[in-house]
Amino acid sequence: MNELNKDAIRDLLYRMADDQLILGHRNSEWTGLGPILEEDIAFSSMAQDKLGQSLALYTLLHDLGDKDPDTLAFNREEKDFKCCHLVEYPIGGYEFSLMRHFLFDSSEALRFGMLAGSSFSPLAKIARKFRGELRYHTMHADTWIRQLGGANEESRAKIQSSLEFCFPLALGIFEPSDYEKTLAEQGVFPGESELQKEWLAHIEPLLAGSGLSMPDVSSCKPSYGGRKGRHTEHLKPLLDEMTEVYKIDPSAEW
Amino acid sequence: MSLKSLDPRITREGLPETHDASPLGEIHHWGTYEVFHQTKKGDRHIHVGSVHAPNPEMAYILAKEQFARRAPCVSLWVVKTTDVYQTNYRDEDMYENNPEKMYREAGGYKVMERINKYKKDHPQNK
Amino acid sequence: MYGGGYIFEDSRNGSDSAEDPRKLEDFEARIQAGEKIEPMDWMPAEYRKQLIRMIEQHAHSEIIGALPEGTWITRAPGFRRKLALMAKVQDEVGHAQLLYSAAETLGKPRETMINDLISGKSKYSNVFNYPAVTWADTAIIAWLIDAGAIINQVANSKGSYGPYCRALERICMEESFHLKYGHDNVVFLATGTPKQREMVQDALNRWWKPIMHFFGPSDKISVHTETLMRWKVKMASNDDMRQKFLDMYVPKIWELGLTIPDPKLKKNEDTGHWDYTEPDWEEFKRVINGDGPCNKERLAVRRRAEEKGEWVRRALMRNAEEYSVPLS
Repeated sequence: MNELNKDAIRDLLYRMADDQLILGHRNSEWTGLGPILEEDIAFSSMAQDKLGQSLALYTLLHDLGDKDPDTLAFNREEKDFKCCHLVEYPIGGYEFSLMRHFLFDSSEALRFGMLAGSSFSPLAKIARKFRGELRYHTMHADTWIRQLGGANEESRAKIQSSLEFCFPLALGIFEPSDYEKTLAEQGVFPGESELQKEWLAHIEPLLAGSGLSMPDVSSCKPSYGGRKGRHTEHLKPLLDEMTEVYKIDPSAEW
Repeated sequence: MSLKSLDPRITREGLPETHDASPLGEIHHWGTYEVFHQTKKGDRHIHVGSVHAPNPEMAYILAKEQFARRAPCVSLWVVKTTDVYQTNYRDEDMYENNPEKMYREAGGYKVMERINKYKKDHPQNK
Repeated sequence: MYGGGYIFEDSRNGSDSAEDPRKLEDFEARIQAGEKIEPMDWMPAEYRKQLIRMIEQHAHSEIIGALPEGTWITRAPGFRRKLALMAKVQDEVGHAQLLYSAAETLGKPRETMINDLISGKSKYSNVFNYPAVTWADTAIIAWLIDAGAIINQVANSKGSYGPYCRALERICMEESFHLKYGHDNVVFLATGTPKQREMVQDALNRWWKPIMHFFGPSDKISVHTETLMRWKVKMASNDDMRQKFLDMYVPKIWELGLTIPDPKLKKNEDTGHWDYTEPDWEEFKRVINGDGPCNKERLAVRRRAEEKGEWVRRALMRNAEEYSVPLS
């Protein structure tokens, strides 16, 4: 990668990998506790997919000279995480977890679609590799949201209020980085604002078709800070919990 | 006080410490769908199990990971169980084949002997 | 993961005497000849009842069995273990799904079974009423409890009821991953740092008693058991399975330099069987009847999971009469 800006790429990779790791971790909490047996299984598979994706990206970071994937995931300080706030929240009720899954995975599918043509070919390869997984994730999310949005009054209200709760958090996915221009110019990634535009255009008809009303973007304050290492109160306890065993002896082989 | 568990997920749920053994409230039964799985194109779809689902679309979403997360799969069918018309094993003997029905077996047609005899009787045909 | 043993009611009510003797004779002849029984077949009421009980308890054991190991799902160290544990616990849920379906073919709806689990009317494997105190407990469970379960399930998969056999076929395939994963996990701990070794030895000490309980009390041959064995509902005696387990796994435990907390445990050269301290069957009964370290929590968790999902199931209900019995 002679002329590509390595810091810009690393920043992008950490944002993506940390999102996937933390959301995969959160979603794994439903395993064995899901609302319906079959859904328990489906949701667990998708949580595994998320972790697998983050592992692929941390491996790529390792190839670029950073530490090994386990150290990056299990032995980094909170402030070094670049995940957005949306993924940090506890699982809540199923309506929250489903809505987060819908909002996040739709953005991820679009992001990976863009990255499939990235000038940074190892990332383009990863983006293409996970296309099939994400296709199921978005089909799963779209179906659930449409069905619950259009079911009874109770479920519509639950889904609508999670949408309103999640929406500013979801806008935080697209918090601009310091490298937007470089990444776009070098053909690595078209940029967060470009992605946000595509995402809004993508989810609006889906939400409308589900009988849900999309919150007004212009009057909504995005939950920024995660990409700069400033997190919600939920991340630190999550990391402490996730690394509890690992930190008994980080040099041990587990 | 809520239940403190060894499992932090459970502790977060804030379960009551007192044990509640009452049955659940109203029971909601979704219907069942039968799931058919195709390993690769060219193969037949094979019945692999069933899922509980409220409609075919959900049945598909719910069957996919339960029945195609390990085994290779290129296509799944889901069919509402009540749409399957099935025979009863009481009628099992209906399927027994009568060995006398040679008229519909390839082996029921042996004409070489006849041809050979004809050729012997008509050597001029060569 | 499941061990048998205590699943059969001590009922001996000889209800088969009420069955049509000609049908019963035909039914038994078919089983004798190695044929499978399918849902639409005629079967004695007692056969149906005992199968529902057994498959239902097996299903409950899978869904409750997801909880002890699930205790560590958010804390598994490193990607490899984290992913594997998620997949393993997911499989247990998948097994429950398959087994509830098999039991449903006999006429008991899944939600009713789950209700019976939560209200304590229906039991599950005793072993899951014990806590997974450290990460090493999950390694011991995945290795040794699943090993025991495989012995039980392989035997049951040769049973007479078609849907149960088919479910077990797939389950056994997945269990072999669990066993390998569990063994790998134990080996890493046993050959790791002194702290890791101490963790795994402690876990083994904690789990040995539940493991010995796992296959159930010594078989008391009753007319009832004989009938169930003749019907190929119960496939192997509790003692035989326990001996088989000891044969296969004690050497594998010892080769890692781990000790088993039973001074009497040794292979008796004369009988060819393992001698061991008789497990405390009074404790076993107490735990089954609700007085174990985790019974209340396990059921409370399952109740909460059902309650949290209730609005989802209700929302998508279209028609209350929609319920159907899966085909096979």
